[in-house]
Amino acid sequence: MNPVIEVTSLRKIFNGRDGASRTVLKDLDLTVGAGEFVCILGPSGCGKSTLLNVLAGLDKAYEGRASVSAGRVGYLFQEPRLLPWLTADGNLDFALASCRVPGSRWSELKSRYLAMTGLSDYRDYYPHQISGGMAQRLALVRALCVEPGILLMDEPFSGLDEITARRMRSDLLSIWQETRKTIVFVTHNAYEACFLADRILVMSNGAFRQEMRVPIPRPRSYEDIAVFELSRDVIRSFGDEIGREPGPVVTPVTEPGITEQGLVDDLDRHTAARMNI
Amino acid sequence: MLKLISLVAAVIVWGLLSLTLPPEIFPGPIETARALWGEIAGGRVGTDVAMTMLRVVAGLVLALILGVPVGVLMGLSRRAEAMLDVWVMIGLTVPSLCYAIMAFMWFGLNEGATIIAIGVTAAPSITINIWEGVKNIDTRLVAMARVFEASRAVIVRRVLLPQIYPYVMASARFGLGIIWKITVLVELIGRPNGVGFKLFYWYQLADMRLVLAWTLLFTIIMLLIELLILKPIERRLFAWRPQVAV
Repeated sequence: MNPVIEVTSLRKIFNGRDGASRTVLKDLDLTVGAGEFVCILGPSGCGKSTLLNVLAGLDKAYEGRASVSAGRVGYLFQEPRLLPWLTADGNLDFALASCRVPGSRWSELKSRYLAMTGLSDYRDYYPHQISGGMAQRLALVRALCVEPGILLMDEPFSGLDEITARRMRSDLLSIWQETRKTIVFVTHNAYEACFLADRILVMSNGAFRQEMRVPIPRPRSYEDIAVFELSRDVIRSFGDEIGREPGPVVTPVTEPGITEQGLVDDLDRHTAARMNI
Repeated sequence: MLKLISLVAAVIVWGLLSLTLPPEIFPGPIETARALWGEIAGGRVGTDVAMTMLRVVAGLVLALILGVPVGVLMGLSRRAEAMLDVWVMIGLTVPSLCYAIMAFMWFGLNEGATIIAIGVTAAPSITINIWEGVKNIDTRLVAMARVFEASRAVIVRRVLLPQIYPYVMASARFGLGIIWKITVLVELIGRPNGVGFKLFYWYQLADMRLVLAWTLLFTIIMLLIELLILKPIERRLFAWRPQVAV
């Protein structure tokens, strides 16, 4: 597999207003092959989004090398980020026009991806007239219809309810299987990562701590026990790195002197609760 | 419909209140309307209304030319904000009468000075509106547009401006309200015609019927502008907005 993303010794420093600087990316190395589905798993604030911004070309102030050689980049944000004054169709046109896709191809591309996501009947709706899940779907259509070589996704389903998010994950996998885009998917949800990815990189404090292949054969089922077991193992081994983020679930306060086993159980419960299992 | 009821109610209240004072001091709606009709039928309103309208429109244009760029600048740059916000406050505080006097003293008793006085008085409130609007720009949408390789010009035209339009609209509307009042005042002290001049003229002759008649005329014109020009523009520009159900 020839690599389409090559990152070597990527370092990013933020300078705070008080003069203190913080290194958010610490000498990252990353290679992603064409057609690969990579998940970057880590807690909020670990530098995942910063990395994506560098890959997307939004952030150009960094040290090291980051090259993306698969042509255009598609980006799906945590929120849909649709232009509220344009209809669904208008939003797609905006992206197609901005990317200078030849006008003769617009209608074919739009129809194709709208159909893939089940939004064909909603072309004339404004973003506020459709549900959050549909809006995020539309954002996915927008990212796909400019025919990107790679797709960067920044916790795209974390703002959705669990039922909708599940469906979106399954849909994403079938779209990926159909289009074979290279995908870099950032998440703090271990289960999501295990379900989606070919390869998971665990990230914390601006560095990759661990890399693992997901051995589960495709097509995968969301209820597959193998996904659950793998995610549990991921949490067990990297619980320290990925369990600590402020979530909607209240974790029991850990007493001083708590055993290692107790901590892991708490993290497990925490994650299980988040995933509505 | 509700609008109509409230207007009718206001006219009735006016009629009742006017009974408390002698008619030459506080004429009722019927007498006022009759006086107004007399002025209109006698062909005595055209020039004055036209002159006032001209000053209002020119003043508004000047106020937007001065106010919008400063507001945009202050919204975009912290430095500009720190430097200019005190001046906006001062600009807001100085009474319009002072601007009018200064303009007439420095530039003479002419239309140019009148329009300058009007525009300068109204500019700070327009600046404040635009400043707020630019600060509220959703930069996440800008990042989105950049991901899709939108050029700078496209970002400005299709992502930034649509976010500022509501504020420009609000400030134009708000500015218009202020500008009417300033224009009348400026006409009163330095112009030989216009609605303000007429008001002052009839005040000096102690003819309250005609003072109220001109006030009424003025109010009707403002309402017509609001209903026939501003509202339709707004409806077209913001058709995409969700209806707020209360």
